[in-house]
Amino acid sequence: MGGTEAARRGGLIGSISTTYHKILLNPSYKYLLLLLGAPVNLVVFLFYLVQRRKDDYTAAENRIRSAMLSSGYLEALQAEIAQQQKRKHEFFNQKISEQQLQQEVERIAQARFKEELRDRTTKELLLNNKKRLTMADTFDRLIANPLFFIISLIPGLLMYILIFLYRSPYLKYIVERLAMTILVIFGVAVLVFTILYLSPFNPAANILGETATPEQIAAFNKMHGLDQGYLTQLWNNIKGIAYFDLGKSFSGNEDITNSIARKFPITLTLTVISLIIAIAIALPIGIISATRPNSFFDYAFMFVALIGLSIPNFWQGLILILNFSIKLQWLPATFNPENWLSIVMPVIVLGTGLTASVARMTRSSTLEVIHEDYMITARAKGLGKQTILMKHAVRNAIIPIITVIGLQFGGMMGGSAVTEKVFNISGIGSYIVDKQFIPDIPAIMGGVVYTAITISLVNVIIDILYAFFDPRIRSKMKQY
Amino acid sequence: MIKKLQSKQGTAHQLKSSPEYRQASFTWVISLTLSVILLLNSFDFAGGALKPWVFTAFAAYALFTIVQMIITLLIRRDLLRTGDIRRSTRLLGYIQLLSIITGNLFTVTFGFNLVKQQKPPEYTIAVYMLLTQLYVIAISALNLFKPYVSNTFLPAMFILVVVAILQLIGLLLVAKFVTSHYAHPKLVWLALPIIVTAATGNIFALVLGINLLVKIRKNGNPAMTRWSDVWIKLTANSTAMAGLFFVIFLFCLSVCSVFTFDYSIAIDNNYSAILLPPSLEYPFGTDNFGRDLFSRIVFGARISLIVGFASTLIPVIIGGILGAISGYYGRQTDNIIMRLLDVLYAIPGILLAIAIIAAFGANTVNLILALSVGAIPTYARTMRANVMLVSTYEYVDAARAFGSSNFSIIFKHIVPNSLAPMIVKSTLTIGAAVISTSSLSYLGLGVEPHIPEWGNILKIGSTYLETNSYLAIYPGLAIIALVLSFNFLGDGLRDALDPKLD
Repeated sequence: MGGTEAARRGGLIGSISTTYHKILLNPSYKYLLLLLGAPVNLVVFLFYLVQRRKDDYTAAENRIRSAMLSSGYLEALQAEIAQQQKRKHEFFNQKISEQQLQQEVERIAQARFKEELRDRTTKELLLNNKKRLTMADTFDRLIANPLFFIISLIPGLLMYILIFLYRSPYLKYIVERLAMTILVIFGVAVLVFTILYLSPFNPAANILGETATPEQIAAFNKMHGLDQGYLTQLWNNIKGIAYFDLGKSFSGNEDITNSIARKFPITLTLTVISLIIAIAIALPIGIISATRPNSFFDYAFMFVALIGLSIPNFWQGLILILNFSIKLQWLPATFNPENWLSIVMPVIVLGTGLTASVARMTRSSTLEVIHEDYMITARAKGLGKQTILMKHAVRNAIIPIITVIGLQFGGMMGGSAVTEKVFNISGIGSYIVDKQFIPDIPAIMGGVVYTAITISLVNVIIDILYAFFDPRIRSKMKQY
Repeated sequence: MIKKLQSKQGTAHQLKSSPEYRQASFTWVISLTLSVILLLNSFDFAGGALKPWVFTAFAAYALFTIVQMIITLLIRRDLLRTGDIRRSTRLLGYIQLLSIITGNLFTVTFGFNLVKQQKPPEYTIAVYMLLTQLYVIAISALNLFKPYVSNTFLPAMFILVVVAILQLIGLLLVAKFVTSHYAHPKLVWLALPIIVTAATGNIFALVLGINLLVKIRKNGNPAMTRWSDVWIKLTANSTAMAGLFFVIFLFCLSVCSVFTFDYSIAIDNNYSAILLPPSLEYPFGTDNFGRDLFSRIVFGARISLIVGFASTLIPVIIGGILGAISGYYGRQTDNIIMRLLDVLYAIPGILLAIAIIAAFGANTVNLILALSVGAIPTYARTMRANVMLVSTYEYVDAARAFGSSNFSIIFKHIVPNSLAPMIVKSTLTIGAAVISTSSLSYLGLGVEPHIPEWGNILKIGSTYLETNSYLAIYPGLAIIALVLSFNFLGDGLRDALDPKLD
């Protein structure tokens, strides 16, 4: 009642109260809303308790109860139940005292009476087109008063932000997705740290050597906080990741976050360049293969793609070095930031697997789309072949391809560890590999977790992009 | 105009619908490619000399490629004229059978396919079974050029030859007495000894035996079982069969190498034979400790297969169970399990493996575990999607109405019916596991360095890239061949198991 009025009134307050209604109906968001706006909700609840006493429902209920009592409904009910209970006990050969029977009858009769009362009241309210007062209605009435809104703005700020986010399905989706990612990243940090914590190796003994005295080892452990408990260390590491301050590495005494920050751009550049080149090659190949399935081109391309999937990165790197650096001497064998030619081979090696899988995915997903009914419709409309292919087939086939690219991006970030080792690139991958022999817990943890964060963020962006590209996902999003 | 167009379409259709013609064209292209590769390798570009052995091999390959092209043209002519392949053309297949001396699998299998008009799957399996055995014998026989052989070499070779003869008899009997819907009941006495020969590691023998027994049991019953249906589709797919052949061949070789290869040649240092180039005695040359690269690669196959299978089987089981529970119960259970697995999913497999190995040390068991953990979420997702689909079917409701427990519904009714995509996925990812194994070994994080594993061999080879590049090339080719085989097999299995194509 209040809600519909507010909605009709429109404006900021109107939309706040409709969203408040909606959230209270959502089982998982309900508690979040109540919690975030606890001070405001408490006030609303008190008002609700007060107002409830004199709302339509309570009035109708009181009226009907007295009517039912005066008509002797309760006594009739009690007599009926008493008889039923007696028969039941006789049938089962149970002996119970009169007092117990009386109690039982009383209990059942009260329950039945309440039920009947509720039914009748609801029916009556429905007949008169009235509603029971809810907490959301109370909120409506209160928020309609601008003074309440202004006063509640400070204590209820978090709640209003939630309401604001919930109002727009896109915003809600993005925030949900981001919150999920943060949880996942937190989980990654806990997992990686736990794995490294469980390690039977002793970094102190590894670094200080066999001759280290117990005092030296204890001092080392104290310096790096290794003498603290699991939870403290975990908390420190997670804090370190969040604040980009992971302290000094065990060996070499370098600042870990600094080294990671220096090494990350190379890996990322390499990955992104290979990604772009791979997509530029793979998409046309996949589309050509799909347009003429089972032709010579198709077989040849897909065969090459399968070989591309089957070549180990490091072997491909070695063969390229052998042919182009040692035999032909065209390209430098190791990476050097000043020489752009030196990035050619790493990009090829890193991009091969991605090119192959994207080409295969493009082919299969385009083939699937090509047999849809709307393709026949498009052809029947007399559209040109090019238009049909580009506008109708590829545009609809692109979604699964983007998914594969997103997944492969993660694989590439991981796979770059091997490629970096082959070409002697000092990127994040080779950093992790170098540090694992000690094992340098914060360094490995930082490397793995920051990589995982990058991958997760890329996947979030892809997911959000989908939502804007694909009308099917968009409409689904609005529904829930 | 229309008539011409129709006839053109008809021709294309006629040619495409003939499995022999398709295989013939595929075979000559592959065979030609192999010949060209051999030709390129027969010249030593730096020295300007001709390698006689490689050139001879090229000549043999080229010869059979030419024969193959002629046969392809003849088949095309026959098909266009009569719509059927003539007997005289089919007889030419016997020439291609001779190419078994060159070791060209594609022309040999084509020959076997061409000489027989009706090909029940058992026939194709029997052909591959025999070929596997012959290849294993041929590879093992290379040990004869070594200065010494293992003590069990002679008896083992004798047994292998006897098994091969038995399998040849089996092939002839199968060719004569098995048709697509009927198998002679007395073939039971063939099937049993054939199954016994699978002890050499020849899985084809096992499959053939089972197939024969199944066929004999349901003689005259036109009903098709899933098992035989899959084999009919799989045997018709020559690339998938080539993949399966290589995998089973490597497995068989790994089993037989215990007796026919001498492990000491692969691991003991021999300072009189350091860094020798390929020769008959050392087919792939020797490494910096004088160890025979060929034996090392043969023994390395075992590790790659074991690690590949184990690190696929473990996540299939764990991920499968988690996915099944998650998909069946839904709601909160699903939410909790999948969110936890999302954490695993966010870390790239190889980085997670590196972290686990960093923590627990580099050895084979840890490697298997490390690779397994990273693969769990993928399988859980696949299984979950299948289980969610299968749970909506009527027979699940029926089982529930019967009063079956949730446990028995999941594992008796739902899981068996959602296994097909898991099988396809796992075949396709064994290859990835093999690559990861060798990559990690190459980084020094995988199998212990003293064990001959392909990645370890490559690691040594990479340091001699400039002078002795063959040390890095051959193990890499072995990895590619194995991974490619798994990928071909996986693609073939997907086509055979995918109900969408039915």
